[in-house]
Amino acid sequence: MSSSEDLSASPPNLVTPVTEVPRWRALLTNQLTVLVFILIALMLFLGNHNSRFFTSSEMSFLLADFSGLVLVAVAETFVIISGGIDLSVGSVMAVAGVLAARAMQPLINSHTNEAVVLLLGTGVALLVGMVAGAINATLIVGFNVVPFVATLAMWYGGQGLALVWTGGQPYGLNPGAQTWSAATIPGLPFLSWLSLIVIGITVVLGLVLRKARYGRYTFAIGSNNFAARAAGIGVKKYVGSFYVLSGALAGLTGMFFDIRLGSGAPTTGQTTTLIAIAAVVIGGTSLFGGSGTFLGTVLGAAILIVVQDGAIFVNVSANWVPVVVASVVAVASIIQSGRLRLRRRS
Amino acid sequence: MTDTPILELRHVSKSYGSVRALTDVSFQAFAGQIIGLVGDNGAGKSSMIKTISGVYTPDEGEILVDGTPRHWKSPHDAIEAGIETLYQDSGLAPDLTIGSNIFLGRELRRRNVLGRLGFLDQRSMETQAMEELEKVGISIGAAKRTVSELSGGQRQAVAIGRAAMWAKHVIILDEPTNHLGARQSIEVLKVMKAARDRGLCVLFISHTLPHVLEVTDRIIVLRLGRIVRDAPTSEFTVESLLGTITGLNQ
Repeated sequence: MSSSEDLSASPPNLVTPVTEVPRWRALLTNQLTVLVFILIALMLFLGNHNSRFFTSSEMSFLLADFSGLVLVAVAETFVIISGGIDLSVGSVMAVAGVLAARAMQPLINSHTNEAVVLLLGTGVALLVGMVAGAINATLIVGFNVVPFVATLAMWYGGQGLALVWTGGQPYGLNPGAQTWSAATIPGLPFLSWLSLIVIGITVVLGLVLRKARYGRYTFAIGSNNFAARAAGIGVKKYVGSFYVLSGALAGLTGMFFDIRLGSGAPTTGQTTTLIAIAAVVIGGTSLFGGSGTFLGTVLGAAILIVVQDGAIFVNVSANWVPVVVASVVAVASIIQSGRLRLRRRS
Repeated sequence: MTDTPILELRHVSKSYGSVRALTDVSFQAFAGQIIGLVGDNGAGKSSMIKTISGVYTPDEGEILVDGTPRHWKSPHDAIEAGIETLYQDSGLAPDLTIGSNIFLGRELRRRNVLGRLGFLDQRSMETQAMEELEKVGISIGAAKRTVSELSGGQRQAVAIGRAAMWAKHVIILDEPTNHLGARQSIEVLKVMKAARDRGLCVLFISHTLPHVLEVTDRIIVLRLGRIVRDAPTSEFTVESLLGTITGLNQ
């Protein structure tokens, strides 16, 4: 299009067309492609090293560990895309798990129906998580405390409370809970009902982030807080809700561990905050807010769990596992930044 | 109809702590007018438009839209009253697509159960964004691209298009020709004239005095938070306008 055409064109063309990115480059620089490739390569490597890796008992173990991470990772995705961060999720998991166990214990001893007990526990865990999230939200939105500091305080305080309320010992539950957690879906021996519920919640959250107004505003607020406000969006209300959502999902994950371990332990979630944030970052979400993907986080979480659980198959001793996981986080971050550079050049 | 000002400020004042940004500002603006708002840095232009657009609430005074006093608490209220604002440099969310930006804050939902649950009709938003922008005189190619992929001039076009497309009464443009080349600036002025011809009232804030003189019907000059002159554009030249802005012409 020549410039003289531009001038006389009606309507005026203020926006000139950009050249399309070549398809091979678009595919190569697509973060999801890269992450899927890494995940498949890792699994093939581990399977090649040890044939036990692809058994359904190992796969169910992987899926269970994945389920214990993915909800908080997705919650963290909402918070980080909105331009914030939630460091408290690990502690909130512990507090919610402990209080839920405490609420369930007397009922178990009085032989109440197991499903009722678990539902009550889930309700308590959800409520505790939401209260913690609401405290974060109040500090951040009401008192303008930086999210990093507000949630760091909650993280530290939560750890303390989890110890105070348990005396350091886990609250034991009926081993029935554990049996229930191991129950798998007929025909799919690697998928437990518990994991299926978690995956269901995850899918809904993913759709909300990508397709619903709530997700749209999450991106808008992180991308340009002022623009969101000027467009008439109740930014404070939404920002507060991200922390309540994060607390709620941390609470549910706390309950997940109660069921899985058969007890509410104060040590639950000690490393979860860091791993969840790592999953989000590996998934390509910007810590500056405004951009990120749900699938990226899910793949990031899957990669971290496979590395963490798979290390044992290549004879890495338990103490070295965190170092291996950390290295994977570092390498994945380098690949992410390289991808961004390649994309920017086009 | 033309007797009632579409927008009126009566004795509006605004302070931030000890800094007085606006002092006793009153003016009337009518439909089908382009009004230039000029003044040196710190004269109160930004405070004035942010007060009109609901980002700030005035300490004293009243804002009337079409003769009715309005007391808004947020930008949302001003938008509902039919006032659209293009903010200098910061009106778009760069990570969202053009279509999403155009519909930011008034998303279209799907026409089914999912829509009631808050799920969006992205395709309709993108098609409508293109059509509506063309109506106000801006062609954008494809609404699927994110704003961060656009150049400064292109972003400005999207922002102006959004304001022009949604405005029912008043459209406020804060430095819309900033960062634009000569040809793109002319296109922006055309969009403003088209908006006036559609019966809107345009408030045009700019440092580029030749543009202001070319396109406006009336000019309001602000200095140190007060209106020092409010007169038809024909009474000004670049020199006299400059003199009024700096205070040398008194």
